[in-house]
Parts: sequence; structure tokens; C-alpha cells
Amino acid sequence: MAADREGRGAPNVSTFQRFSVDTNESLHFDPCENSSPSPTGAEDGQDDRDDVFKEEETEDEIIMIRNQLQGKVAEMENFAGHLEEIFLTVEDNFGRQEQHLEQHYNDVLQTLSQRYDERAAGLEEEKKNKLEELYSQLLNCGRAMDASKELIEKAQEIYRYQDKRLFLKVDSLVFAPTAEFAKDEVDLTLSTNLEFNTPLADLSDVKTMMDSINVVPAPSAPVINPQMPNSATQTSLRVCWSLFSDDTVEYYELYYRPVLEDTLADAAFTDVNVKETHCTVTDLLPNAQYELWVTATNTTGISPASEKALYMTVPSPPVIKQRECSSCPEAALIRWQSGNTDPVDSYTVELSEMAADGPESSVTESIVAVPTCQCLIQLQAGRRYLIAVRAVNIGGPSDKSEVITISTTGTLFYLLEDTAHPCLSVSEDGFTIFYGDEELPISAMALDDENTFTRCVAVLGDLIPVRGRHYWEVEVDDGTEFRIGVAYEDTERSSYLGANSTSWCMRHILSPSRHKYEFLHNGWSPDLRITVNPVRIGVALDYERDTLSFFNVNLEQHLHTFRCRFQSYVQPCFSLDNPGALTVHNGIQAPAYAFM
Amino acid sequence: IRSLVSESEMALTQVSSNKCAGGFQKVFEHDSSELKCKMKFAVYLPPKAETEKCPVLYWLSGLTCTEQNFITKAGSQLSAAEHGLIIVAPDTSPRGCNIEGEDESWDFGTGAGFYVDATQDPWKTNYRMYSYVTQELPKLINANFPTDPERMSVSGHSMGGHGALICALKNPGKYKSVSAFAPICNPVQCPWGQKAFSGYLGPDRSSWEAYDATVLAASYSGPQLDILIDQGRDDQFLSASQLLPDNLIAVCSEKKIPVVFRLQPGYDHSYYFMYSFMNDHIKHHAKYLNA
Repeated sequence: MAADREGRGAPNVSTFQRFSVDTNESLHFDPCENSSPSPTGAEDGQDDRDDVFKEEETEDEIIMIRNQLQGKVAEMENFAGHLEEIFLTVEDNFGRQEQHLEQHYNDVLQTLSQRYDERAAGLEEEKKNKLEELYSQLLNCGRAMDASKELIEKAQEIYRYQDKRLFLKVDSLVFAPTAEFAKDEVDLTLSTNLEFNTPLADLSDVKTMMDSINVVPAPSAPVINPQMPNSATQTSLRVCWSLFSDDTVEYYELYYRPVLEDTLADAAFTDVNVKETHCTVTDLLPNAQYELWVTATNTTGISPASEKALYMTVPSPPVIKQRECSSCPEAALIRWQSGNTDPVDSYTVELSEMAADGPESSVTESIVAVPTCQCLIQLQAGRRYLIAVRAVNIGGPSDKSEVITISTTGTLFYLLEDTAHPCLSVSEDGFTIFYGDEELPISAMALDDENTFTRCVAVLGDLIPVRGRHYWEVEVDDGTEFRIGVAYEDTERSSYLGANSTSWCMRHILSPSRHKYEFLHNGWSPDLRITVNPVRIGVALDYERDTLSFFNVNLEQHLHTFRCRFQSYVQPCFSLDNPGALTVHNGIQAPAYAFM
Repeated sequence: IRSLVSESEMALTQVSSNKCAGGFQKVFEHDSSELKCKMKFAVYLPPKAETEKCPVLYWLSGLTCTEQNFITKAGSQLSAAEHGLIIVAPDTSPRGCNIEGEDESWDFGTGAGFYVDATQDPWKTNYRMYSYVTQELPKLINANFPTDPERMSVSGHSMGGHGALICALKNPGKYKSVSAFAPICNPVQCPWGQKAFSGYLGPDRSSWEAYDATVLAASYSGPQLDILIDQGRDDQFLSASQLLPDNLIAVCSEKKIPVVFRLQPGYDHSYYFMYSFMNDHIKHHAKYLNA
């Protein structure tokens, strides 16, 4: 064994084992002789400590080598296994290929022999016909010859007559037919063509067969995969399919068309050619179902179509309705529009907390499977959150909506402008209400919107329905007559705030002599005097203690506390009893005294 | 009976101690240097006082009262315990000084000190209730109880309401807040005040004005006050023009001194009335004392 000899001839060159192919064992491992380092070889004469150290070092080295060797062995075994697998596959494939070839050649031979038989039979038939014709011509010729001979004999006989008169007499009798006969021209041309009519053999089909022996068969129908999660976008679908491993395919054709629920007619389909077994179809409609199928084509032909698969594009992102969102230190109510004409399966609300020192944030929480276009989210007080919504269907989630920033320092609400009395106008930012001097036309007053305040020039706020503590402030002019407080959402629209059992409010009245303040509920107010007119009023609603308190914010002065029994959620309410304006200040952290 | 000796050598003698609302309602007696007599005062110590320094609310009682009326009738202890306030309620006048005429009427002399420092004989030696409640008593309290001297408030009823108002108005910044039940708002203008002031301060009406809440309010300058006043509408002394809250309100409105004045329908001048709104007052003080 050459390898072995080399190993012995050059000791210490390598410490690795070598393997060689032996006759008996396919893989034979053969340790190198003289290759393992000797602990006492060249280092003889060193002291014991060094020896011990060396020994340890050597041992370590041996262990390392052994490990390396074990690794190699494992690798080799692995490789051998692979080879075996490949061998089996090759054998298998070869067998199949052989069978395939054999069958093809059999087919070709069969076809050829069939052709041969057909051609031979044809030629035989032609030969027979020609012979028959020639034979009958031969017979005719013989007969003509016989008749000629007979006439000649007769003529000779008459010629020998003595009587020339008789001869002449007979002549008219006899020579007439003779002359006639002589007139008959005997056809001496061959009635049949000597050439055999051999049309060119059409062997194109055989040729095709021969050719097809060298190419693969036409592919079978591909298998289209069901839609994978997160493979779709608003306008595109990533489609995947597979086929039997034997098939060779030059390209695929993917067909797709939208599934229209409202019409029975099928929509026209589009097709694309692709080389890969996947394709991203673009320019689609959002939140729509598509029917897709695929065929495979190679030089031999086109496969049958796959099954039809249903895929769905993801919805368009929802649109957050900022003016209909509200929040408080413990929660936020987010409302949005679907953004899609067709219904989606659900919505996902994603929220992340904004770090105090920067805009960096990551998704910290997702609320999934929200069935409607609103979601009440529990939050921590005193933070800032970024909130976005996605619409979800079977195809996956849409892109994020615009992000809304929610700050949980205080309570934030917008006004329910559809409740506003016709004389009331609301500023662009939604927080200042005006009651103008000018008379409104009767037509404007005659609005029969059931939700609108009809007598009290009032508007309701849209407070988040959370039974916690809420605080907001109202800025007024001390010449403005106003009512501010809370009311049930269904408080009588034809009655004044505080005049009924469904509203609680602080009222400012300007009398000729002084400013009068009332704290009205059910038409009754305690009798109290306030020496400094509040121009910024804090309103503290505490569902836990069932109280509604008012403060002069500038003085931190407590003005009044209603002790109520709130049967259901209340809404902030604001009204102006004379022309003027008031401004609602929102999202303010409640001062400590507001909920003492 | 336990004796406590303070740093300033003011001796306190405990007269009674009762557990109340988780804390203790105690009464002490001491020798007052201002009043030259033995004085009793009540002190409520909330549970919080066992571990922390607490703010103090001084309660000034009305005519004829001792330290007992408030602690037995006003129902302040639960609320004080809740907010962690110490409430100190002194007596309303020197007692046992043997001054001629001190016991002749209920609205002058004993039980009617009017929280002034008398300048007239024979009262000027002992009837120094203003100095007593604003100086001596706070010192004594701060020396003997776990208090935060920076946080004190004052409140009172009727004559005590007048006392509370003048203490706050005469000492800007000393009291964090002030409130009163049915206070005598303008004593210079009412029979009670005129009788007392002429007796203690003499005929010079200008000297009276130093102890008149309405007059003091008109010239007040100092840190912002927040005054809460409750007044029973059926208070016989209101209709008898002894209290005159409108005068004070008018001045405060003009001077922009914040007052919330609540006229409570059906209530009279009694402790039943005070009891009904005591929590609001304790809360009013707690808001500023615990801020």
C-alpha cells in the first residue's frame, strides 16, 4: 500500500490517521507509526517537573488529536452515508431511465415494424395488380395473333384458286374482314407502368419518438400551496407551488383573477410566466380574494392546471379618527375607520411606550382580534404612548395606520359637536365654543336633530368611559354667563343644564350688583358666595367617590363638591347663557387637591 | 397623672387621655405665663403622630365654651385622624383670676376672652388671649408634641371664628389656611363685639379695629389666604346682626381675598351645625397643611 509506505518513509510529518481503501474493508483506518510524539524522546535529561509538564502537555495534545480524529471519523461516516444515499438514488434513477428508454425504443420498433408491414402489404397488392394486367394483355395479343394467322391462311387458300373470277368474288367476301382486320391496330404498348409507385415514407412521428427518447416527459400538474401567513401585502401576493421531483420544467404560467362575490360572471384572468416555483403578483386590490392556478411547461409540453387556490390580499390600513379618541391617566379609547369597503376579520392595536429621553420605542404590546372599530386600552399613568392600528384578514395584517400619540398625564376628550346648540360654534382645534350675538335664521333653529340641545346653548364632551378620576379645566371670561359640569349622555336636550336630575353644573350669573355662582342639580343650588370670580375653573369628576368638584384653579380654591350617584357614565357639558366664549383645557395633570 | 417637662421648662399636666379614632384625645393643664393662671387645653393626636411630625390645627371655641365642647361635640377626630392633623383646642378665657365682674355675664369675662390682648384694667393682666393662642400656646405645643412648626392653621366658631380670622389676617403667612363657622365677622359693628372691645380695649374705637376681621381684611397684604366660612341660615345670631358676614364678604370681594361662604339652609348656631360640616373644614385645612 503506497500510502502506508509513504507514511513510514516520512515519519512525524503528520499526526493524523490516514485511511486507504483495502480489498476487504471499504474504509480502513490505519494509524501512522512513529507519528505519535514521544514524551521522553528528544527531551531526555530534562528534570522531572519539566517531564510532568511535558507529559501533561502531550496528554492534552493527544486528547485534542483524538477529538479531532473522532470528528473526522464522524465526518467520514456521515460522508459515507451520503454516498450510499446518492448511490441508491443514482441506481434508482438509472433503473427508471433504462426502463423509460427501453419502453421508448420498443415503441419506436413497434411503430417501424408496423410501418414495414403496411408498406410490404401495399407493394404486394400493387405487384399482383400489375401482373394480372400484363397477363390479360398477353392473352389479348395471343388472340390477335391467332386471328391474323387464320386470315393469312384463308388468303393463301384463296390465292391458290384457279378461277380468278371466283377469286375476285370471294375476295369481296373475304377481303372485307381482312381489310377490317388490318385496320384494327393492335395496341402493343404496355398497359401498366413498370415502375412501382413508392410514396416517400413519412417517418416524422418516428423521428419525434426518437427525439423524445432523449427529453423528459411533459410535466404533471403542479401543486399550488395554500396561502402562507404574512406573504401578502395590500397590493401583492406571494404564491408558491411545487411539483413532482422527476419533472423538468422550463417555466411556469401562473393565472389569477379576483373572486367577485357580487357577480356570477368570472372576472378575466391574468397570467404571468415565471421560472421559479414562486411568484409575487402585484398591482392587486386590497382586502380582496384572488383565485390562482399554475401550469408547468417544458419542451415536451404543458402540464394540466393545478388546483385553484384562494389567496387574499391584506386590507388597507385603518384611519384613526383623532377627534373621536379620548384618554385618561388609566386608559385610552381609540376609534378608527376601517379604511376598507369590505369588512375585515379583525383589528390589531399596537402600542409602544415612548421613552422619556427620546422618540425611541418598540412595540411593547399588541391587542389582537379587536372586532370593532374601537378599542379601550388600559395604560399606565404619566406616560406617553404611540398607538397604531392594523386591519387583519386571512391574508395577514395591513400596514400600520398613522400613529397617534397618547399622553396619560390627564384626561383628554373632544366635544360632541353633533350635540351643539345651533347658536354654538366650535373653534377649529375643537376646544373653544362661541355663542355669537347675531340672530340665527329660523331655519337654523328648526333643525330637528334629536341629539342637538334646543334650549340651552350647550354642547357635550366625549369623555372616555372609564370609572376613574377625570379632571379638566375651563377658561372663561368673568363677563360670561356659563354652565359647566357633567350630564348623562341622554340628558334632556330641551332642558337647561342643572335644571334636571340628569345634569350637574356650576352656573355663573351676572346680576346688576354682583357675580352669582350656583351649583345646580335638579334645579336646586346651595346658597354660597364666592369673593373672587374664577376665570379658570377646574372640574374634578371622581367615579370612585361619586363626587364632582369645582375649583378656582388660579387660587387652588375649592368651590363646591356635588355628592352624586352616577348611575351610568356622564359626559362633560358646557353651555353659554349669554354671548361669549369658553375654552376647555384638556390633558392636564390633576392637581393633588382635586381628588383629596 | 404624668408630668412632662419641656425644654423651655413649661410644665404640662395631663388631665385626661382617651383613645379616639385610632389616636388619642388628651387634655392638659399648664401654668400660662401670658394669662397668669392655670389653663387647660385639649389636643387630639392622630395615629400618624406616633411616627411622624404632624401639622397642627388650632381650634378657637365660641362664647361660654371650654376646651371640652369642641372635643365632645364637633366630631372632628375621625377626619383629623384620616388627614393626620393634630388639633389643639384651648379654653376661651382665663379662669379663676378673681377679677371683679368676670362671671357676671356670659358674653364678657370668663368664657368670653374674644381673643384680644386687653389693655384696660382690670383685664389687662390676665385677658391676653390673642398672645396666648398665637404665641404661648404654639410654643408650648411645638415643644411637647410631634409637630411641624411650619405647618399650622386656625379655625373656630362664632367668637372663635372671629378669633381664627383675626389670627390669620394679623399674621400673614403664619397660618396656612383659615376657616370659620358662623364667625363674628365685624365685631366693631355688633353688640357682642362692642361690649367686649369697650371692656377690654377701652373707648377708643380705632384700637378695636386691630381685632376686627372685616377691617383687617380691607388692609390685608400677604400670602394668599383661602377662607372657608359656613353659616347656618337659621342662626338666631345671624338675624340678630351679631355675625355680619356680608360686611366681610363685601370687603373680601373688593380686595380679592378668596372666600367661599356657604349659607347652609336650616342650620342654627349650634354644634349640630358644626358637626355637619366639620369634615369639609378639616379637609380644607388638610389641603394646605399637607400640600
